[in-house]
Amino acid sequence: MEEIKNKIYQRLTEAFPEITEHKLDFPYNRLDVKIPKNKVPAILFYLKDEMGFKHLVHITCVDWIEEEKFELIFIVWSPKEKVKVFVRTELDRNNPVMDNIDMIWRQANTYERELREMFGIQFEGLVAPKEFILEDWDDIPPMRRDFDTEAYAKKRFFERPGREDAKDVRQTIAERTGESLPDFAKKYSR
Amino acid sequence: MVNDKNSQKIVDIIQNFARKHSLFVLAYGTGCGAIEIPPTMTSRYDAERFGIRGAATPRQADVLLITGYLTTKTLKRVIRVYEQMQDPKYVIGFGSCTINGGMYWDSYNTIKVLDKYLPVDIYINGCMPRPEAVIEGFIKLQKKIAEGRADGAKQYKENFEWYRANQKKVLGPTTPHIQEYNW
Repeated sequence: MEEIKNKIYQRLTEAFPEITEHKLDFPYNRLDVKIPKNKVPAILFYLKDEMGFKHLVHITCVDWIEEEKFELIFIVWSPKEKVKVFVRTELDRNNPVMDNIDMIWRQANTYERELREMFGIQFEGLVAPKEFILEDWDDIPPMRRDFDTEAYAKKRFFERPGREDAKDVRQTIAERTGESLPDFAKKYSR
Repeated sequence: MVNDKNSQKIVDIIQNFARKHSLFVLAYGTGCGAIEIPPTMTSRYDAERFGIRGAATPRQADVLLITGYLTTKTLKRVIRVYEQMQDPKYVIGFGSCTINGGMYWDSYNTIKVLDKYLPVDIYINGCMPRPEAVIEGFIKLQKKIAEGRADGAKQYKENFEWYRANQKKVLGPTTPHIQEYNW
């Protein structure tokens, strides 16, 4: 497997000298490369048409809030070599704009819609309805790390108050009905 | 004869007896709890011996099961479905999520307390409730119906503005419009 990975990596670096980082010591059949964002459609075209990586597994995003970056990861799979290639690229967090790639794989359209809604990444030239899963969303995109989901839930939804005594529920019931707790229940109660 | 008070009581008893033995449950799963319904309905637990069975459309159904978490998006549909159902109608909140949010207590798109939005007749707790618990909940509902205490639909009509205000707080301008469904 190491030989195949090395061979793929060499072919990629020959065609794309812009590759900045790489990891070959990923477990088993994964190969990881990093490339500037304007070269992403080119490398994906190359992987698909020249090297047999026919299947787009996933497009996902990591929010590096401390470094003010979004990291997009395109995962492609070759059924012939049985190798996954992770193509990583970095976007500016304050202005996340990316090229649309759904002319390479049609299913990329769905992933891009999801990223647009959950992270607020704009794909240039993406033709799709405005909403994907959320309806009438009026806050910052919910999968960003600066979105406080607990505060939002407290603000928006009703809450049922808990019991005031905050004791073991068996104890409360036993006191209410005037019974004593059985021994096996005492063992586990706080 | 029906206007006579005592006769009305007898009519009510017979009506409630008939109602409690034919609970048609709308086949509409809102969350993961819907997975407990097939074993409840099929041969092992066989809920049909209590008169509980599925119904295809809201207009034929008596019971609306809210199975598990309810997102704001689904809540909109559930409200429409509930308002389409014909009287008598009952709501069962199923699982911890409908009671206090359960494991989705800090989620940004699931509601936490169901009885603020719809009148709930019976809550079944558990995550998930086993089919035995589901059947026990249904039997409790049957008892309530027989005693004439399952008046969720009446509550909804009387306090409609309060319910609608709560629904509007979550759904905003896309709350379903008031429509005449009983035709």
